[in-house]
Amino acid sequence: MFIRKYLLPALSLAGLVAAAYTVTNSNQRLAAMPPIAEPAASPFRAQIAGAGLIEAASENIAVSTPLSGLVLEAPAVRGQRVKRGDVLLRLDDRDRRALAAVRRAEVEAARAAVARLEALPRVEDLPPARAAVRAAQTALDDARAKLALADAVTDKRAVSAEELTRRRYAVESAEANLEAFTAQLAKLEAGAWKPEVDVARAQLAAAQAMLEQVEVELERLIVRAPIDGSVLQVNVRVGEYADAGSRTPPILMGDLTRLHVRVDVDESDAWRVQRGAVGRGFVRGNPQLSTSLEFVRVDPYVVPKRSLTGDPVERVDTRVLQVIYSFPADALPVFPGQQMDVFIDAAEAGRGGAK
Amino acid sequence: MIRIALRMLLGDKLKYAGLVAGLAFATLLITQQGSIFAGFVLRTGAWIRDTGQADLWVMDKQVEFTEDRKTMLDSSLLRVRGVEGVEWAVPMYKAYMPCRLSDGTRVVVRVIGLDDATLLGAPPIIESGALEALRQDRAVLIDAADAQDELAIREALGDTSKRPLQVGDRLDLNDHEMVVVGRYRRTTEFFWDPLIYTTYTRALAIAPPERRMLNFVLARVKPGYDHDAVAAKISELSGLQAYTEAGFEARSEEFILRKTGILANFGITIALGFVIGVLISGQLLYNFILDNQRSFAAMKAMGASNFMLLRMVAAQVLFAAFVGFGIGVGLTALSGNFLEKSELAFNMAWQVPVFGGIAILICCLFAAALSISRVLRLEPAVVFKG
Repeated sequence: MFIRKYLLPALSLAGLVAAAYTVTNSNQRLAAMPPIAEPAASPFRAQIAGAGLIEAASENIAVSTPLSGLVLEAPAVRGQRVKRGDVLLRLDDRDRRALAAVRRAEVEAARAAVARLEALPRVEDLPPARAAVRAAQTALDDARAKLALADAVTDKRAVSAEELTRRRYAVESAEANLEAFTAQLAKLEAGAWKPEVDVARAQLAAAQAMLEQVEVELERLIVRAPIDGSVLQVNVRVGEYADAGSRTPPILMGDLTRLHVRVDVDESDAWRVQRGAVGRGFVRGNPQLSTSLEFVRVDPYVVPKRSLTGDPVERVDTRVLQVIYSFPADALPVFPGQQMDVFIDAAEAGRGGAK
Repeated sequence: MIRIALRMLLGDKLKYAGLVAGLAFATLLITQQGSIFAGFVLRTGAWIRDTGQADLWVMDKQVEFTEDRKTMLDSSLLRVRGVEGVEWAVPMYKAYMPCRLSDGTRVVVRVIGLDDATLLGAPPIIESGALEALRQDRAVLIDAADAQDELAIREALGDTSKRPLQVGDRLDLNDHEMVVVGRYRRTTEFFWDPLIYTTYTRALAIAPPERRMLNFVLARVKPGYDHDAVAAKISELSGLQAYTEAGFEARSEEFILRKTGILANFGITIALGFVIGVLISGQLLYNFILDNQRSFAAMKAMGASNFMLLRMVAAQVLFAAFVGFGIGVGLTALSGNFLEKSELAFNMAWQVPVFGGIAILICCLFAAALSISRVLRLEPAVVFKG
């Protein structure tokens, strides 16, 4: 009787307990998975967030080759510190060097031609010329003597008029002869004609200029460091063909004494950026690693944002203002080309904004 | 007098048992259907709750539920990070992609891309493998439940049985070969397509090209800031919409209920349960009171007032309602604990027994009202009738 009486109410109570248990215990939510690294949190009360890309203080210099050619030597090593003017690459210069030899020979030839002209008169040419003058003089003297003899005869019948005229002409002829030989000797003694020397000199100058041209071309086959800095990338190896103006630079270098962060700020947030505002940069994957950033400049041209889709045809997503910040290279274990989360203090900027 | 009333009730065992059984059955119908409905509703937000690391969800203004892919500018992430009161914000990619398994099975899957640096938004439990392994090249995480089902593979051609996909297996996502580095567990969800996790940039790399790729930004609010206020500020400043977890859940829930008609379907079943409860208990109660007419008449003859009789009937009805409801709700709880282990949605929210109880009460009072007039109009002389 007792059981019968209380069976159903007891069952009911048990049911209520079961229901209460189910209500409180079923469908409990699972605890959220903690992140493997805490995300960077802004240290400022109001901030502008930007995606930062680390680069060298000099910006990253994509050193190109002025001429295309086969790489003969690549003394530049990744990570190496180089001084301005140090050789980074040496391109194949064999054809230019052969051409330089030709040009050098041409210079020598032109120089010899000038020397030959300058060395005139040739000494061996003078004695015969002088002898010829002397012979002409002697002939003149002889003719004169014969004329004087005939003139001295008073008897007109002893020397015919014809004979006398003949002797007079002989003297004139001898005189002309002497003049001719004397002039020839004078020309010989005067040496080379100046315009001819000038022509030869000009040819020498031209040959020298052509040699210099080849030498400049030889120099252009040597790629040198444009600044003091570090080699970041070497993208060609000995034996490869370096293309002048190719998209991947043969050598990437930059000055790493300080690092710069190029911070992309969305154009809609650009009005909030204040020149000189402090920034803080966080290393991705470990927000414990962060450094204070010093304002450098604002790039005055707003550029299309580069997105990371990896799509060969990048479509413009949005435009970004680039703000440059800097920090000492030893402040963080980071490298140029690495991304960083950056917060810029925007505490002062109000909503109305325009000043 | 109340005790007499209860003794009257308990005395007629058959009627008593019938009445309680009817009420228990009605309770079972109402609360179980209610629980299943609540279970479905709960499942619509399961993924949001599993992704519990964020305080706020930021998305395009037109996003209506968790699977909606309406994308934002990449730089929206930076804008959210720039809002006062936001401690951190990370991007998340979510989209449907075709997937091909090594045996040639083709499945449509949902791919989620997590922030590369932090992997925030990861599923709650890693069953095998490791979350960190997601940093490896081409790594993906798969759901252990999916691995048994949609993502199971045939080892060799002609095999009749399939084996679950395991760590180290490969699968093709949108024609990119990926490696399974871990299996995770999560709450069963309303949506059924397998959910595969990878990193954000990897998801972008394998995704078909779109002009905009980002669909969610998860944000944490700085301590001391009000979540709703920061959400409102993000919405105002960025032109996006920011929800708290509960807000996003409510929005998804509302959209799915509106689109699927689940609410109407379950509403009809629950209403039917209510009607059946009223009919059964009304019928039995009426019969019970009719049978006990003589006893009531005798009491009336002995000088019991109408009010006293009303109280007696009320006590009987309430007792029966209590016992029936308790048993019914207990059965629901019991069945729920079995159902929970199967694929069925079941959620006995506190509202279910409360509203179920109110419904049973209304249903009993309704039934009592039908028969009470009989007692009130009772002539004491009935007692002497044959």
